[in-house]
Amino acid sequence: MMIDLGTSAAWTPLVAAAGPAGLAMTYNTLVVLAGVAAVGFAAGVAGTLALLRRRPLVGDAAAHATLLGVGTAFLLTGRRDLPTLLAGALVSAVAAVGVLVLLRRIARTRDDAATAIVIGVSFGAGLAVVAGITARGLPGSAGLEQFLLGHTAALTARDALLLAAASLGVVVLVAVALKEAVLVAFDAAFAAASGWPVGLIDAALVSLVALMVVVGLPAAGAVLVTALVVIPPVAARQWTNRVGPMLLLAGLFGLAAAVAGVLLSTLRPGLATGPLVVLAAAAICFVSFVVAPERGWLARRLGEADRRRRWTRGRVLGECFALCGDDAATGFERALVIDRAAGDSGSLRRDAGRAWHQLVREGVLERATLRAGGRDFGQESVARGAAVRGAMPQAGRDRWRLSSAGLVQARERRRRIGAWRDVLDAAVENGRDALTLDLPAPEEVLEGVVLAPLAAAWQSAPRAAEDTR
Amino acid sequence: MSLAVGAVLVADAGLAFHGWSMATAAAVSAACALVGSFLVVRRMSLLGDAIAHAVLPGIAVAVLAGGRLGGPLVLVGAVAAGLVTVWLTRALHAAVGLAEDAGAGVVFTSLFALGVVIVTLCAAQIDLDPQCVLFGILELAAFDLVSLGPLLGSSVGPVLVPRAFLTASAVLGLVTATLLGTWRLQVFTAFDPAAARAAGLPVAALTILLLGTTAVATVAAFEAVGAVLVVAMLVVPAATAELLVHRMPHVAALAVALAMVAACLGWAAAWWLNTSAAGMMAVVLGGFYGLAVALAPGEGFVARAATRLGLAWRVAREDWLARIWRAGEEAGGAGEVTRPRPRSLLERAVAGWLEWTGVVVLHRGMVRLSAPGVREAETVVRSHRLWEAWLGRHAELPLDHLHPPAEWLEHHLGAAMRERIEAEMAVGEADPHGREIPPESGARP
Repeated sequence: MMIDLGTSAAWTPLVAAAGPAGLAMTYNTLVVLAGVAAVGFAAGVAGTLALLRRRPLVGDAAAHATLLGVGTAFLLTGRRDLPTLLAGALVSAVAAVGVLVLLRRIARTRDDAATAIVIGVSFGAGLAVVAGITARGLPGSAGLEQFLLGHTAALTARDALLLAAASLGVVVLVAVALKEAVLVAFDAAFAAASGWPVGLIDAALVSLVALMVVVGLPAAGAVLVTALVVIPPVAARQWTNRVGPMLLLAGLFGLAAAVAGVLLSTLRPGLATGPLVVLAAAAICFVSFVVAPERGWLARRLGEADRRRRWTRGRVLGECFALCGDDAATGFERALVIDRAAGDSGSLRRDAGRAWHQLVREGVLERATLRAGGRDFGQESVARGAAVRGAMPQAGRDRWRLSSAGLVQARERRRRIGAWRDVLDAAVENGRDALTLDLPAPEEVLEGVVLAPLAAAWQSAPRAAEDTR
Repeated sequence: MSLAVGAVLVADAGLAFHGWSMATAAAVSAACALVGSFLVVRRMSLLGDAIAHAVLPGIAVAVLAGGRLGGPLVLVGAVAAGLVTVWLTRALHAAVGLAEDAGAGVVFTSLFALGVVIVTLCAAQIDLDPQCVLFGILELAAFDLVSLGPLLGSSVGPVLVPRAFLTASAVLGLVTATLLGTWRLQVFTAFDPAAARAAGLPVAALTILLLGTTAVATVAAFEAVGAVLVVAMLVVPAATAELLVHRMPHVAALAVALAMVAACLGWAAAWWLNTSAAGMMAVVLGGFYGLAVALAPGEGFVARAATRLGLAWRVAREDWLARIWRAGEEAGGAGEVTRPRPRSLLERAVAGWLEWTGVVVLHRGMVRLSAPGVREAETVVRSHRLWEAWLGRHAELPLDHLHPPAEWLEHHLGAAMRERIEAEMAVGEADPHGREIPPESGARP
C-alpha cells in the first residue's frame, strides 16, 4: 500500500503519537518543530567551533544587528515573507561583523568596547526602523517585533523547511571544514606556520556563526539568539574532551532546548519562544555543570574528597610507622597517632579519625593483644624486665600495632617518599616543597635515565626511618 | 534647522512634555556615561552589557514583591541581580573552569530570558510591560507626574514633576556621589590594578562598587530606554570621548556632555521621524562615535589620511623640482629645459600647481625654475648627494646601490644633518658619482 506522505491525513497517527497530552499537534506544528530542531542542532555545532576558538560572543554583534536588516528589508521590498526578511538580516549581520573588523583596524577603541558599540548602535538603529514602520502602520508590518524575542507560532511549513535546509548546509560545511577549523582553534600559530590561511578560516567561522544567528532568529529572536550558539557548546564541553562527541552533544543539546522551548511556548498564548528556548538550554547547562563526570561540580568535589582521604590515610600510616620504628611488635596508642597526624586542625582530626578506621578495616592496623605472641608480650620481653615493660599494654588501654601487611605498606610508602625526595633534590630547585602528596613510586612515573644516578646511592645507603614521615 | 525642529516640537505637544522627556533622558544618559567611562577603561564594556540584561529578573521579582519602578526595592533587586551575574560568572570560572566571556554569555542570556518569562507570565499582576523591557517608556514618562508641593512647603503650590525624572535625578546624584567620592581610587584601580593591589587598595571592593553603581545606573536607564540599549548609553559616549581627549577627568566630563546632547538630539529626531526615542538616541550616539573615529585630531582616519596625503604631496613636489633642476644641470646649466613628462596623477597635479603659483615658469613647452624654486630644488639635490656621499663612505655599498636609499631620504634630511655630513667631507668634494654638491641654499654667491 502506498502512503502519500505529503497529505496531513497520512500524518495523523504519527501526530497523535507525538503530541503531548493537551497539545493539539497539527502537521504544520510538527514541521515547524522539526525545522526548529534542525536549527538548534546546527547552532550547537557551529557554536562549538566558536567556543573552541575562544570567541564565544562573536555572534552577539551580528545577532543584535539582524533587527536592522529585518526592518530595512521590509521597508525596501514591502514583503514580510521569511526568506526576504532573513536575507536582510544576513546582510546586516555580515555588515556588523565587517564594521567590527574595520573598527579594530582604524580606531583606537578597545575590542570589547567596539563590540559593545556595534551591539548598541545597530540594535538602536534596528529598533528605530522597526518602531518607525510600526508607528506608520504600514500594511503587513504587524509582527516584525516578533524577531526581537522569537515567535515560532507564525512560521509556515515552507519557512521551517527553509530553516532546516540552511541548518543542514551549516552542518555539512562544518563537517567538510572540521579538520581545518579544529587545527586553527587549538593552535592558530602552528596552523599559520604550516601555511594554512588562518585569517580565511577564521572569517569562514565567523560567517558560519553569523549565518546560524540569522537562521536562529525566528526561534530565539535578535536579543537572545546568541544563547543558542553559546550555551549548548558550553554544556557539551562539560561532558567530553574530544571534539567529535562535543560537536554531536552540543548539537543534541541545542536540538533538545529548541524543541522544549517551542513546545513550552504553545502552553500559553503570548509567550515568546526565545526566552523559553534559552531557559531550556540553561537548564541543560546547569545539570551539566553539576553532574558531568570529571569536569562537573559534583565530580570535582568527590575527587577532591577522595584525594584528601588518600592523603590523610598516608599521613596516619606514616605516623604509625614512625611511632613503632619499623618494628611489627612495638605498639602505639591511637590518640597519639591522631594527635601527631592532625596537629591543631579540627577538620584534619576528623579526617584522621576516619582514616584510622579505614586502616583498621583494611587490616593494616590491628589490636596489640597478649595472644599475638610478639616481643611485647612474649617470654622474651618478660625476661628483659623493666626496660621493655614500659611498652607493655596496660589493662584497658588502647594499644595498636601495624599488621605484617601494614608494615609492608608503610615501608613501601617510606621508600617512595625518600626516593621522590632524592629525585626532586637532584632535578628541581625547591623540589622538596612538592612532597606533600601521596605519590606513586618514582619508577612508575619517571624514566630510568633520571633514576640511574640515584639508584646506586640508594643501594649503598638505605634511608633513615625518622625523616620519612 | 534645530530651531525649526524646536518650533515644531513646541507647537506639536507643548514645551513641558518635551522638556521633561529630554531632561529625563539626559539625566539617565549622564549617569550611564559616567559609569561607562570606567567600564570602558577597565575593559568591562561587555560585563556592563551583561549586567544591563541581567537586572531584569531582579526588577521583575522586586516588582512582584510589591516594589514600584523607581522605588528603593526595585533598586535593591536590580543591584542584587547585577552582582549575582558577576558572581555567577566568576563562580563558574572557579568551579568548572569556564572562560569568563563564555560564562557571561551563558549567565546573562539565561537571566534575561528568565526575566522576560517572569514579566510575560505575571503581566497581569505587575506593572511592567514586556514591550517596555525592550523599548523603554520614555514617551510615557512625562505623563506620570508627582507633586513636589509637600516637599517644598505649601507656599509654592503644586509643582508637578515626572516620576521618571525624579528617579533619574536621584540615580544620577547617587552615581556621581559614589564615583566622585572614590574617584582617585577608581582611577588608580582602572589603570593599574596590580599596583593598586600592591599599594593596599581594596581592589575587589572597588570593583564591586563600580559594578553595583553600573546596576543602579542601569535601572534608571532601563525604564527610559529598555534593557538592550543600555549598553549603548554605557559604552558609546565614553568610547567617543576617549578618542578625543586623553585624561580621565576630561574623558568622563566629555562623555557625560556628549551623552546629554545625544539624548536631547535623539529625542527630537525620534519625535520628528515618529519612531523609538531610545533607538534614535543610540543612533545619534553612534553618529558621534563615527564622527570621532573619522575626525579626531591626530588620530582620526581623516587626520591620518591628510597627513599621508600632505607627505605624498611634498615628496612629489620636491621630486618634480629636483627633476627640472637636474635636467638643467645635464643640459650644462641651461635655465630652460623641456617640460618633463609627469609619472603619476599626483605629479601631474603637483606640476600644474607649481606652474600656477609661479614656482616653475612654463613658456612654450619649456620650463624654468623661479628663484625660490631653485633654492628648494638645490636643497633636495644637496640632501640627495650628501647622503650618497655619506653612504659611500660608511655603508660600503656599491656605487649603483647608493641612489635608491638617497631617493628615500632626500626628503627627510634636515639642515643640521646636512651640515654634519658636509663637515666630514673635503672642501669642494663631489658626490660618489662625481657630480657637484650644491651649496646650502642662499650660500651661493
